[in-house]
Amino acid sequence: MSSDIVFDQAVEIPDILKSGDVVTTLVGERTRLSLRVKAADRIAVAKALGITLPAKIGKTNTKAGIMIACLGPDEWFIVGEKAKYSNLYNKALKLSSKYVMSVTDVSFRNVAVELTGPKVAEIVNVGCPLDLSLAAFPVGKCTRTVYEAAPIILHRLSEDSFAMECWRSYAPYMVGLMTAHVQGQRV
Amino acid sequence: MGDFRKTGKGVIDTQQPVSFTFDGKSYSGFKGDTLASALLANGVHLMGRSFKYHRPRGPVGAGFEEPNALVTVTRGKGRMTPNLRATAIEIYEGMMASSQNRWPGLGFDIGAFNNTFSAFFPAGFYNKTFMWPKSFWDKVYEPFIRNMAGLGPAPTEVDPDVYGAVYGHCDILIIGSGPAGLAAALAAAKKDQRVILVDENVNMGGSLIGAGHVSIDEKSASDWVAKALKDLNKADNVVLMTRTSAIGYYHDNFVALAERLTDYIPEAQIGKTREKLHRIRAGKVILAQGAIERPLVFNGNDKPGVMLTSAAQTFLNKYGVAVGKEVAVFTAHDSAYSAAFELADSNVRIAAIIDAREGVSAELISAAEGRGIDVHIGSVISKTGGKKRVRSVEVYEPVHNTQKTIACDALLMSGGWTPSLHLWSQSKGSIKWDEAKGVYLPDLANENCVCIGSCNGDFGIKAALDAGSKAGGGRKVYKTDEPVFGSGQVFDHLPNYIKPSKTKAFVDFQNDVTDKDIKLAVREGFKSIEHVKRYTTNGMATDQGKLSNLNALEIAAKALGKQAPQVGLTTFRPPYTPTTFGTFCGYRTDDLFEVTRKTAIDPWAEAQGAVFEPVGIWRRAWYFPKAGEDMHAAVARECKATRDSLGIFDASTLGKIEVVGPDAAKFMNIMYTNPWSKLGVGACRYGLMLGENGYIYDDGVVGRIAEDRFHVTTTTGGAPRVYRHMEDYLQTEFPELDVWLTSTTEQWSVIALNGPNARKLIEPFVEGIDLSPEAFPHMNVREGKICGVPTRLFRVSFSGELGFEINVPSHYGRAVWETLFAAGEQFDITPYGTETMHVLRAEKGFIIIGQDTDGTVTPQDAGMSWIVSKKKKDFVGKRSLQRSDLVAEGRKQLIGLLTDDPKTVLEEGAHIVADPDQSIPMDMLGHVTSSYWSESLGKSIAMALVKDGFNRMGDDLYIPMEGGVTHKAKVVKPVFYDPKGERLNVV
Amino acid sequence: MMLIHCPYCDEKRPEIEFAYAGEAHIVRPNAAEQQAMDDVEWSKFMFIRDNKRGEHCERWWHANGCNMYFNAVRNTVTDKFIKSYKIGQKRPSAAQIQKWKDQANG
Ligand SMILES: [Zn+2]
Repeated sequence: MSSDIVFDQAVEIPDILKSGDVVTTLVGERTRLSLRVKAADRIAVAKALGITLPAKIGKTNTKAGIMIACLGPDEWFIVGEKAKYSNLYNKALKLSSKYVMSVTDVSFRNVAVELTGPKVAEIVNVGCPLDLSLAAFPVGKCTRTVYEAAPIILHRLSEDSFAMECWRSYAPYMVGLMTAHVQGQRV
Repeated sequence: MGDFRKTGKGVIDTQQPVSFTFDGKSYSGFKGDTLASALLANGVHLMGRSFKYHRPRGPVGAGFEEPNALVTVTRGKGRMTPNLRATAIEIYEGMMASSQNRWPGLGFDIGAFNNTFSAFFPAGFYNKTFMWPKSFWDKVYEPFIRNMAGLGPAPTEVDPDVYGAVYGHCDILIIGSGPAGLAAALAAAKKDQRVILVDENVNMGGSLIGAGHVSIDEKSASDWVAKALKDLNKADNVVLMTRTSAIGYYHDNFVALAERLTDYIPEAQIGKTREKLHRIRAGKVILAQGAIERPLVFNGNDKPGVMLTSAAQTFLNKYGVAVGKEVAVFTAHDSAYSAAFELADSNVRIAAIIDAREGVSAELISAAEGRGIDVHIGSVISKTGGKKRVRSVEVYEPVHNTQKTIACDALLMSGGWTPSLHLWSQSKGSIKWDEAKGVYLPDLANENCVCIGSCNGDFGIKAALDAGSKAGGGRKVYKTDEPVFGSGQVFDHLPNYIKPSKTKAFVDFQNDVTDKDIKLAVREGFKSIEHVKRYTTNGMATDQGKLSNLNALEIAAKALGKQAPQVGLTTFRPPYTPTTFGTFCGYRTDDLFEVTRKTAIDPWAEAQGAVFEPVGIWRRAWYFPKAGEDMHAAVARECKATRDSLGIFDASTLGKIEVVGPDAAKFMNIMYTNPWSKLGVGACRYGLMLGENGYIYDDGVVGRIAEDRFHVTTTTGGAPRVYRHMEDYLQTEFPELDVWLTSTTEQWSVIALNGPNARKLIEPFVEGIDLSPEAFPHMNVREGKICGVPTRLFRVSFSGELGFEINVPSHYGRAVWETLFAAGEQFDITPYGTETMHVLRAEKGFIIIGQDTDGTVTPQDAGMSWIVSKKKKDFVGKRSLQRSDLVAEGRKQLIGLLTDDPKTVLEEGAHIVADPDQSIPMDMLGHVTSSYWSESLGKSIAMALVKDGFNRMGDDLYIPMEGGVTHKAKVVKPVFYDPKGERLNVV
Repeated sequence: MMLIHCPYCDEKRPEIEFAYAGEAHIVRPNAAEQQAMDDVEWSKFMFIRDNKRGEHCERWWHANGCNMYFNAVRNTVTDKFIKSYKIGQKRPSAAQIQKWKDQANG
């Protein structure tokens, strides 16, 4: 790859979101896979890939450098560090002949931000209608939902930290809403 | 004028004077005053003019229910808010308020001639008068109505303020912070649950504010409120929200709260959120909204200075303002007595209490007499004196037929109490009529919701406190010392010796509806209360009949000879109180109004000066004008450059769906009209998708990446519905198929290169793919690398030229584009937009879904029978294609048109006829779907859907245009350029 | 905005995450059945719906959630959901719907 090939994620985090009650960061390049496996093959495929595929919708499994979320009855969304997991797609591809499954590379479809701070739920609730109390949305929960008009994937990383992903072209809108909210309060 | 302030009362801070202007005149009030209380403290009652008759009006209420005292507040360019209730807005230093609905001034108003001639403006006047002739509507009636109607002027400038919106959740939402709401919050706070307590006022406490004569649990009411608020503030599970109106109650305890954040701040900065919409989902809702006092309907009841007894009490207790120096009280309810006594005890002279009832308790009468107040039992007010302020009342005693005039400068009225059921009714809770109290009360709940306190008919402070505690999950029983609330009598008619034609007794103050209007509506045949409402406009003003609905109901019921519950109540609708548009918009204005999806290459196009067009919610580069070029010139240049050498086009918005799994081909066979099983790996095929109704739904090129993997493309606008359509069939009709769908639209940036030099450009950048025509023929796809990043390289063409569509990871899309563009200089590479793309495809006769088809076009209609498999037993739409209607003669079919004058470019959408000389309405054969100037052919080309089009090849048809011009065009096959497709094979 | 119970997520989620997808239990005829149907029968399958006032079996798509289609019984007068259930489950009988209602009312 030549040096002038620039990696561009459609959005930059404005300064106003980088400090204060909630600190927002743009997540760098990741390997992202959409993995679909028939129920009978779930455990075998997980074993072959060396990961865990949680059985229940909304559950995640996180270990060093990789997060696996169960988004649907036979659907897993995998986000891994590029250096460590760039080969996971090919590995899964090879399993396709043996198991009833599918894997699709969506590494560049999404843009992710991480939000951390005591008022993080308020920023998420600017556009997301879900109850974010720890009882209703515990640490580790991950789901598709919406941020006003943007479909998103929301993942609670800790009590005061969320990861939020959307399709690339929705990222300026998603970050724009957060910015408008914080600006209106800071003036 | 004079000072009406009573020191030592209320929530105002007398250490902080605040100056403001009303209609340009300066006044002074105190921090904590509303505009109304500050004006009343200055002796000003006249605050507005009524809507229809422009009658002088002052405040009737003291809060959000106020119908009369509507004002406009201005705080700089674009920051003008009309129709604010003077009784509900806080004054701030430098506030500029003005009255409305008057011209040229509040004291002298030309529109008041309506009042003089009010006999000509009865109920339904507008409906009856402005009917005929029709031509008068535009020129006479409408301008007249527009001038006369309307309240404050609508702002004409852009509102520079920002508004916000958030979602919130709680276990218990309590609306209203009077005794019931506070007691509920105190009880709920003790449990492990999230509580939100909201109140539309600045201060919590409701009727307890300044209620110095009341004690609760051995404390004064104000000390009790202070302690309650202190405890609630300490509880970290409780959120207190003031200046927040609950405006709407929706399904499953979803409640909209409008919070006002800056309107009371003298220097409310632009940029700071002015108002915020809280969309709250509550486990349980407790409505403690209280009750609103009912006015009495009598002749002259709308003069400034005539107001609700409870309003006078609020002005006194909350703001330390006496509404007059010599106050008469007209009542039909016991509760007015204690209010009168409070005024008297604050050294306001009570001129008289006039009680319409015959039976009044001896204790009340002796308590009045003990204060030296005359009580006139069984008496009414037959008229009021004074013009811009009430100066006297005439007391009429029907039994003795006597009249007596009593001087006063304010008149308080009390017709009993109406529980506030607005939100309860919005929640679809049912209501029942309580005969004893003469009011509607909550009946069966539709949501997890309770009404407590006086909005549930539990009048009195102790009743409210105890009900609150219970609703909040507690069991506390409060001890209070308060005046007996008492009871009242509902009058559907107050006697008068004056002929009805000489009286004017208002029911709806804001809309100027009188008792006579309602009776007239009934006489004219309106039997449903909903019709009476619309005919008279009673309850249709900005206060939504908070004061008038029950009185109107009583009068209508009496006129109909029915009981009130048989007539029923009009529907309550959100918003509960007028709300700014800004609050409803929240953050969704300007750039955030709608999502605008942009490709990775979009910033490059913007920098190049591209003109954009919206396609679905994407914005796409439309054309790239050079200096001095208009659209026509730019598109002509872009087309020529592409056909001559090389054009580059951003096709990233094309929808992409990855169809993967052992049954992928089987699934494709179901979803598309053509067969997929035999398509080789590495090959592409154009696919046509139908709806089950047999009409063309979408199309796109599909590449087979592996035996079990298809890279499907869809139209830009069609991507979401195609994905949904596929998921629907897969999940609900063919769940046995082992195949999965993933949207990959945004995984890839797509760079389309078209033109004879396309291959030459990419050759040096491509790794791992043999680009030679033999190894990589047209309609094939290969995986490899370009500019060092992975690519799915399609050899396809939507222009008829040698073409490639380079799919690269979208985060690298712009970088690859810029690299290729720089290298393309040697070929005069030309960026083109969607318009040139459309011209190039039209020259080849390729259709655009939604432009050349409209949801009623079959593949046969589009001349595409070749793509419909005869062998496949099933695909979506197959059976419908056999329907008799879809195979009948006379369907509209897609053909080409060449105009007689090659320079004439037809208008898209123009109608087509066979005979231009026929009389109007002509027999229309169809319409032009696509039409362009073709620079390559040096003439205009068009496509059209025309009845029996295939049988009209070579015929002349006509396109009559507005203004008498008629174009002539010949029907041809819709392939205008390189019909043999030789240009695809340029080496 | 309603709350809708998704039988796959087994959670009540806000309506905004869902898309309505028409009446439930209208089975698409297979290839042989399609060919055996005359135009009138086919048009009934295509276009004729109950448009029921009251308890209505209908399809919903948890588009911004688990991505699954499912069925639900909803009262079209009160807008109250009685029960949602997975695709593949049979159309509930009136007795079954009554049982669900009784359960919901405790
Ligand atoms: Zn779900």
